[in-house]
Amino acid sequence: MEVDSQEQLQRKQSTYLSLDENFEIQKEVYRGQQYSQIYFARLHMMRTLLYSLVPNWKSHLPVCTVLELKEGKECIIFGTLYKHMKLKPCILDEYSKERSVAPLIKPHNFMHQDDYLVLEDESGRVKLGGTKLSTSVYVTGVVVALHGKETSAGAFFVEDVLEAGLPPQIKRPLKSREDKYVVFVSGLSIGRSSSNPLQFQLLVDHITGHLGDEEEQGLAAEIVHLVIVGNSVEISRGLLNGQNLASKDQSRLCEPFKELDILLTQIAASLPLDIMPGSSDPANFALPQQPLNRCLFPGSTTYNTFRSCTNPHCFELDSIRFLGTSGQNIDDLTKYSEAKDKLDFLERTLRWRHLAPTAPNTLGCYPFTDRDPFLIDSCPDVYFVGNQEKYETCLLKGLEGQLVRLICIPRFCETGVAVVLNMRNLECHALTFGTQISS
Amino acid sequence: MTHIETLGILEEIQAIVSDKLQVVSYKWLSRNFLVSSNVAKRLLAEFVEKHGSGLEVVYSLSGWLKNSPSNYHIQLVTRHKLSEAKQEYDGNCRADVYSVQVCIPEDPAAIWNTEFLQAEELFKQPAPVENCLRDNRFCGISASFVKRNVDGTPARVAAAQPNNAGISGPSKQNSSQTNAALPSQQNKVLQSSSKVAQHTPIMVKDVKSDGIGEVHNLAVKPSTDKKKTTSLPSNKNKDQNGKSSTGNGGSLATLLGRACTKPKCSSVPEVGSDSIQNFNGTADAQICAREAVEDENSDLDAYEVNFRRASYGEGNKKRRVVFDFSDEDENEDAVNLASPDLPKRKSLLGSEQDSKTLVSERPNSIVDKPNKDEVNVKEETMTDGEPNRSLREETSLVSKRTNGRNSVVKLESQLPETAPNKMDEVTDAAPNSTKRRKVIKTHIDDHGREVNEVVWEGEETEVKKVENHMPKKVGSGTTNAEANTVTNTTNRPTAPKRSPAVGSTAPSNPGGKAGNKKAGNAKDPKQGNILSFFKKA
Repeated sequence: MEVDSQEQLQRKQSTYLSLDENFEIQKEVYRGQQYSQIYFARLHMMRTLLYSLVPNWKSHLPVCTVLELKEGKECIIFGTLYKHMKLKPCILDEYSKERSVAPLIKPHNFMHQDDYLVLEDESGRVKLGGTKLSTSVYVTGVVVALHGKETSAGAFFVEDVLEAGLPPQIKRPLKSREDKYVVFVSGLSIGRSSSNPLQFQLLVDHITGHLGDEEEQGLAAEIVHLVIVGNSVEISRGLLNGQNLASKDQSRLCEPFKELDILLTQIAASLPLDIMPGSSDPANFALPQQPLNRCLFPGSTTYNTFRSCTNPHCFELDSIRFLGTSGQNIDDLTKYSEAKDKLDFLERTLRWRHLAPTAPNTLGCYPFTDRDPFLIDSCPDVYFVGNQEKYETCLLKGLEGQLVRLICIPRFCETGVAVVLNMRNLECHALTFGTQISS
Repeated sequence: MTHIETLGILEEIQAIVSDKLQVVSYKWLSRNFLVSSNVAKRLLAEFVEKHGSGLEVVYSLSGWLKNSPSNYHIQLVTRHKLSEAKQEYDGNCRADVYSVQVCIPEDPAAIWNTEFLQAEELFKQPAPVENCLRDNRFCGISASFVKRNVDGTPARVAAAQPNNAGISGPSKQNSSQTNAALPSQQNKVLQSSSKVAQHTPIMVKDVKSDGIGEVHNLAVKPSTDKKKTTSLPSNKNKDQNGKSSTGNGGSLATLLGRACTKPKCSSVPEVGSDSIQNFNGTADAQICAREAVEDENSDLDAYEVNFRRASYGEGNKKRRVVFDFSDEDENEDAVNLASPDLPKRKSLLGSEQDSKTLVSERPNSIVDKPNKDEVNVKEETMTDGEPNRSLREETSLVSKRTNGRNSVVKLESQLPETAPNKMDEVTDAAPNSTKRRKVIKTHIDDHGREVNEVVWEGEETEVKKVENHMPKKVGSGTTNAEANTVTNTTNRPTAPKRSPAVGSTAPSNPGGKAGNKKAGNAKDPKQGNILSFFKKA
């Protein structure tokens, strides 16, 4: 068997540029500030933007602030939406739930037919009426421009809405590329009793080029990057209830990390990988989540291919811009609004130009003082969200020629599905694994 | 590989599968016999041909699915389901032998288990070893751009972009501090010890004269956490700029660097690696590790305070120390969110102090304390959350004598149990501007480690002079112990006075006490009799 004579396949490479600086909070100083500043920064940035868009929309109407509204006068106002929700959980309910050792409460929707929207700017707020602005679509924190007039009841009757729309996209050079693939996987949940390590091992084997014949390994050699989108580890709730841990429990705490580290070592030895924190990972709760500490991965951090990244994560591969989160933003939208599928939520966040509009209202967020890092300035080419129920993808086309691939990445431990994206044509396919062998 | 070699391997596989009843997967085979994965698969296929009749074979089937065309499906199937499974695929699908075993286990993960144990073994080898797990040499794809840094420093990303998302800035500062003071050492353990020493210069310096024992207590992670140790120095040394002035940490780094380049620091590297083994899993090491980790995370304030302690500690015995976290900040009202929580920090410092305190308290035989004076109950105005700092100063002065952490731990155990919630102690301590005294409280922190914290407690019925600090401390400890029903006390002389504040801030924590109990019961014969303290008094 002359096996050693064949040429070993070379893995393809691509240039990586990280754009996570915006999401790092080390330079921030906390002076006890509250969230008004981040809202102000958001309103300010978005208002400037919307103001520039208004002439194309309805140039004949005057712009005024909320306090300057006069009854019957048609005008345009800018502001942040606030949705008053009857069923929105209050902190006391959440506190009482936290005290029990119950598992994570599955999010359900808090919408109610009595919800109403309010527009707020620096001067004041006004209740919104009319049917143009759908209460089920919008959430607190979205900045819009509204055309309408004040009614006798003191509410603002909305006749038209202007959202910021898709941000401008930097045109990619249209040279013919070779096939290069990026693999996305999320929700490994190592440490969960129901997780199947064999599945992830199969994924690792496939990507690193152990599995399959030469043809398959040739396909694998074209994978240039792996992104692990959050929730890689799950620590049993019983260990986290605030009680003191016996020493045997202490080792149970680290078991998932050791396992993950061994698997990541196998990957990092073969191709570049990014790991993002998720809601169940040991990272900070508030967005933007900071990178997982490198000491959690003592074996893998020695590789130059291993990168621990923030959540949200923005990077460029061969000048294709990727932007994505581990799912907290979309999950929050699911709780407070409705849409026909998750891709719809993704699209909305792009149109609102804000990754997480419900932060800091219902989504934990750092109280930035001078900026809102979740504003999307430049349209990404690939926009992904992790830890969703199923794999969904679509190609979004913008009015100015933007082309965005939206991807919902399912939880791997439940579905065994990873997503593979071809950077040449932004096409996606699923990479699924099955290990049902017992008869 | 030659025919004979092949036959030999096949024989071995036969033995392993049939006799040892082990699952032989191609991956396991490749790592065990040091052949590439492709060769291993062929070997398995040959084995199945020749000897596979009585055995179960699992195949890995991969290809594009028929029904959902954009789904590349890889699955494991048993031999008799192979042809059926192939129907699902569109066109050609590849089947390779995945594993051979005597019977199919109920849980598929059992197939993975042997392979994973092997991987774990490889993973646990010392870092400089390049084994087949670490360089992935048996796969079918070579990736020459992958670099692994073995001396503890993670290699920079190959595509060096200026704004690569690296680790946060403060860690860079930390690393510069580390680099500034100590030369990078090949031995990771020493690296870690020096690094930790870097971050806790006081501990290193103060304890130095005692010898290597303490330094190791404080500076070295237990061998069980060796891997983490590697990563810590690696993170630290990431920025190999020597005494570079990276941002805020620059001047501080040089100060700390100077502090640590004192000759005493050299005792750190001299420590033999065997002494590291002594402290597996002990609280101190964990605390040190935790400190190191947390320090790593931009705990500049702690460094600053550490440094001040270093400079103040030695000479100024009766110095009043005012702890102000925000002193060094550019913005006075800034609260450093990046640093660990206040309670945690206190625990850190407290734990540091504990080690020192215990170190200092330990020698019951040590009667004359030349620096007793300084061990006054400090009339310090302490800000909230700082009680431990003053203690540290005190303990640093008397810390030289200790050796052996067992005694330290034991002594801790004899001291009052503490509330798990350190905040109680803080709030109690803060309003008191009168005399305080140190009490050691133990509790289990968030990481599940037993933390011993020296806390100031208001003391109204102080009878003894403060000079007798050592006995008093123990005394107060015993009073609390008596007040606490669950404390593990072996020799409890009658305490001179009670400490109501202590009692009020020490709600029982059964878990913590259990932990203390364990520590307490292990009486170390080498430790002097605690009664000697009270005899002096």
